[in-house]
Amino acid sequence: MANRFCVNLTHAKDNTDKATVAFVIANAALGSGKETLVFLSVEGVRLSQRGYADDIHEEGFAPLRELMDNFAKGGGTIYVCSPCVKKRKLDEHGLVAGATIVGGVKLVEFLSNGGACVSY
Amino acid sequence: MTIAGTRGVWITTTEGTDSLESARMSDGADEVWDAGDTGCGDLVLELRTRLDGMRAGQVLRLVARDPGAPEDIPAWCRLTGHTLVAGQPPVYDIRKES
Repeated sequence: MANRFCVNLTHAKDNTDKATVAFVIANAALGSGKETLVFLSVEGVRLSQRGYADDIHEEGFAPLRELMDNFAKGGGTIYVCSPCVKKRKLDEHGLVAGATIVGGVKLVEFLSNGGACVSY
Repeated sequence: MTIAGTRGVWITTTEGTDSLESARMSDGADEVWDAGDTGCGDLVLELRTRLDGMRAGQVLRLVARDPGAPEDIPAWCRLTGHTLVAGQPPVYDIRKES
């Protein structure tokens, strides 16, 4: 069984439900012993900015900031799509814990040795 | 644009970069490519094409200022089997393997 799990997240405040559930699932993977990656792309890259998620709290879920903090503390990795960041003129240096700006090659490498990927 | 660099090395630039700066950086490389802000898929596709045109053992000096390049270039080398001889962003020396 592959030990890698990827969550591809393309939303932020345009769909806080998906953004929240994506990190819930990512934490489930992390808690299950998987090497877990959240790939933020398209609008999802806004979540890479420190403070952006502070006011996102979906009913029935933990606040997104807490979910993201727990993910980082648990050793989860967040890749942030470089061209998506550039397009939105976001701050490359104001990233949340665990986040790294990358190009697509890093995602390709992560998935090249097997593993599952779900998209939100 | 293509210009003649030091030691007879050909330097090509993708964007309007300082050719003199590029020329200084060409020492020890067979070819230099200043990719400017090109990144992600565009960067590595062009990188592959350029290495395809070189002989095994030759070194391409890549200058890439995309913020994703420091992570992507080493990963790309691991995936493709080429050797990252030296990498100090934004400059990467890549040796073509057969």
